[in-house]
Amino acid sequence: MPDPKVLLLDASGKRVLLLGNEAIARGILEAGVSVVTTYPGTPASEIGDSISEIASQVGLYMEYSVNEMVAVEVAAGAANCGVRALTAMKHVGLNVAADLVMTLAYTGVRGGYVIVTADDPECYSSQNEQDNRFYALLANLPCLEPSDAQEAKEMTVHAVEISEKLELPVFLRTTTRVSHTRGPVAYGELRKPNLKGDFVRDLKRLVMVPANSRPKHEVLLKQAAKAREISEESPFNKVVRQGAEIGIISSSSAYNCAIEAASLLGLDEGVLKLGMTHPLPEKMIADFLNMHDRVVVVEELEPYLEMQIKAIAKDYAPNAAIFGKMKGQYFPREGELTTRLVATGLSEITNKKLPVDFRMIEEKYGRVVKGLPSRPPILCAGCPHRASYYVIKKVGGERAVYPDDIGCYALGIAPPLGVGDIMICMGASIGVGQGISRVTGRDTVATIGDSTFFHAGIPGLVNAVYNRSKIVVIVLDNLATAMTGHQPHPGTGMTGMHSQTERILIEKVAEGCGVKYVRVVNPFRTKEATRVLKEALQQPGPAVLVFRARCTLMDAREKRRGGAESTPSRISEKCTNCMACIKLLGCPAIMVEEGKVRIDENSCSACGLCVSVCPFGAIEGSCAE
Amino acid sequence: MKEFSIVLAGVGGQGTLLAAEIIGAAAVIEGLNVRVSEIHGMAQRGGAVVSNVRIGEGALASTVLEGQADVLLGFEPLETVRNLRSASEKTLVIMNTQRIPPTELASKGTAYPTVEEVLAKIHVFTSRVIVVEAAELARKAGSRLTQNSVLLGALAAAEGFPVRTKSLVEALWELVPKKHVEVNVRAFELGCDSVRKG
Repeated sequence: MPDPKVLLLDASGKRVLLLGNEAIARGILEAGVSVVTTYPGTPASEIGDSISEIASQVGLYMEYSVNEMVAVEVAAGAANCGVRALTAMKHVGLNVAADLVMTLAYTGVRGGYVIVTADDPECYSSQNEQDNRFYALLANLPCLEPSDAQEAKEMTVHAVEISEKLELPVFLRTTTRVSHTRGPVAYGELRKPNLKGDFVRDLKRLVMVPANSRPKHEVLLKQAAKAREISEESPFNKVVRQGAEIGIISSSSAYNCAIEAASLLGLDEGVLKLGMTHPLPEKMIADFLNMHDRVVVVEELEPYLEMQIKAIAKDYAPNAAIFGKMKGQYFPREGELTTRLVATGLSEITNKKLPVDFRMIEEKYGRVVKGLPSRPPILCAGCPHRASYYVIKKVGGERAVYPDDIGCYALGIAPPLGVGDIMICMGASIGVGQGISRVTGRDTVATIGDSTFFHAGIPGLVNAVYNRSKIVVIVLDNLATAMTGHQPHPGTGMTGMHSQTERILIEKVAEGCGVKYVRVVNPFRTKEATRVLKEALQQPGPAVLVFRARCTLMDAREKRRGGAESTPSRISEKCTNCMACIKLLGCPAIMVEEGKVRIDENSCSACGLCVSVCPFGAIEGSCAE
Repeated sequence: MKEFSIVLAGVGGQGTLLAAEIIGAAAVIEGLNVRVSEIHGMAQRGGAVVSNVRIGEGALASTVLEGQADVLLGFEPLETVRNLRSASEKTLVIMNTQRIPPTELASKGTAYPTVEEVLAKIHVFTSRVIVVEAAELARKAGSRLTQNSVLLGALAAAEGFPVRTKSLVEALWELVPKKHVEVNVRAFELGCDSVRKG
């Protein structure tokens, strides 16, 4: 990854290769945004992470908030004091923040405020692939959709300006392919942040009791009408090609696929590219519809544009033939849109033959990958979650139910560990577990990560104590928000500004919530962990175990810095090839070569778990027991 | 110039992301348009990793269309096969021989396919294959962690690759941590030589 200092270069006009998310970070600096808040989540994480590295140098304030709701609260508070602010989150984070956002649309903001929502078509690293453009429609807030890194930067600046003009929060909606694609970005001028705000008491504007909310709803609708005028004039909504054969309307990364697909088919297409997708530029779209006999709407996920374009057509271009995905014909509503999918849809609509024989490619591909071993993501060698799940499975077996949560540890569902029966969203393991335990009477062991516990686990835990639910909550505490890149959280004692702070201990939180049985164990001490889990299951009410061991990747990084070398574990001649280590742990460092078990010294992190579990004491190395 | 498309396929931890970024940075040094696409998150945890690099004015989409890769740069034999969908008879496959056995093999007790078996699969798509002993060359350069630079070197020497070697080396200096740069440049040069001589 480039040195974050690259983002600080005061070099207007310079072209730099940036990730979409880094380009948004540069946009933050060019817009003079002064408060940046986030909760890490793929594919949004690098926005906050880049800013975290340079915040103190620039003089802006950055925080990893405890969750997306609080992130928006903090930023909205600052923006209501006239300070420019931005909050970045993954798409599902906006569900967490939605309660606030829906009414923040009524109060509005004084300083420009942008909410970045990074959607994840294809669920590369997410539990669903919801289309967050509908939040813009639902909340009546403006929405910008960049298609590449350059636009991501420009639109960040533009969104701040629109927000300030309309006094409304503005969405910047990316997708995985926009956030995680690098491209050349031309720098503009930097603008100094201004962290000094002033709070002006204004009850009618800021206190949303019904008597104030009703008139503010009217104000919001008036501002939304003004936003539509801005959309009609927006430099990001424009006809980029004039071809007459067919019209294409598109946005975001789907636009890139549309252009390439049309060129593959040799079409002479007219293209209306939409960068501001809420509110839509009605007149501009009506004109485009009237210029083409047939118009194709190319968009990823839901038919968000198509629905609205068809409504516009009903009033202004009733004879336009509009093709899309609403009836499931030409493009899929699920998954990522690719050049191939767009080309296939366009070929059906235009009757132009595809120049690439995809069927033949698939047929050949199917033949060569038949029986090819898969390589799904797995827990790293030395991951403490492997020790935790080994213990949990040993104690709970097939008898218990295992609600699971969002994080690396969700990979524990894979064999041989096989722990994880229901996993839905951040924090849900604790609440869902209570419902399961209530109606089945089965032992219920909920696993939740440390950062996830702070994010959304605490209300569920309070509920368990209050309603006397019998459930064991195991907090898998690896001392970082590991999956998204080891960001700090309230249990780490560090902030996003790289300063030390109060460390909030999960066990103290649990005790404070009224949990009677709370224990902290290192899961690599499998005997001790086994004992406390058995005890926890005997409790009449909720029990909390904190399985604490630092993420092995962080550990390794620190050891490398300190120059320390760990001695990998080693199979001794006592090995009977019983395969227990492989069948119980599924560690990527343990392999079978020519029928014999071997530990790969390059991948072994010397955690010692295999040393603990080997029934013949045939693995040599240090272990934590 | 027609777009030049490269698919980099490997396993998390092999440095495919960095290699893709170096190609992208080198293209920008030359004033070319480029798209470098990567998938983070779940895939970092020992899973299969694919990066797409597309160079040229018309490069807008993030990923390489099926059958349209100019080069499939395989960091690992199985992952090379897994990404053959991007290949056609025009594609040059550059493949590292270094195997990383998936854990599935250990638990199912099956063997890793032989080099001949892997090559036979590649030949279904293209006969243009260069095999690189990147582990061996990396060791020669001075660190087993420089296989990605060896493969970059091999790519730089490939026919038709539109970015100059000089710019790639400049990008290496920009992006590789200072204390590892020299060994990576050595690895890069060994990769270049292996293809030019081979």
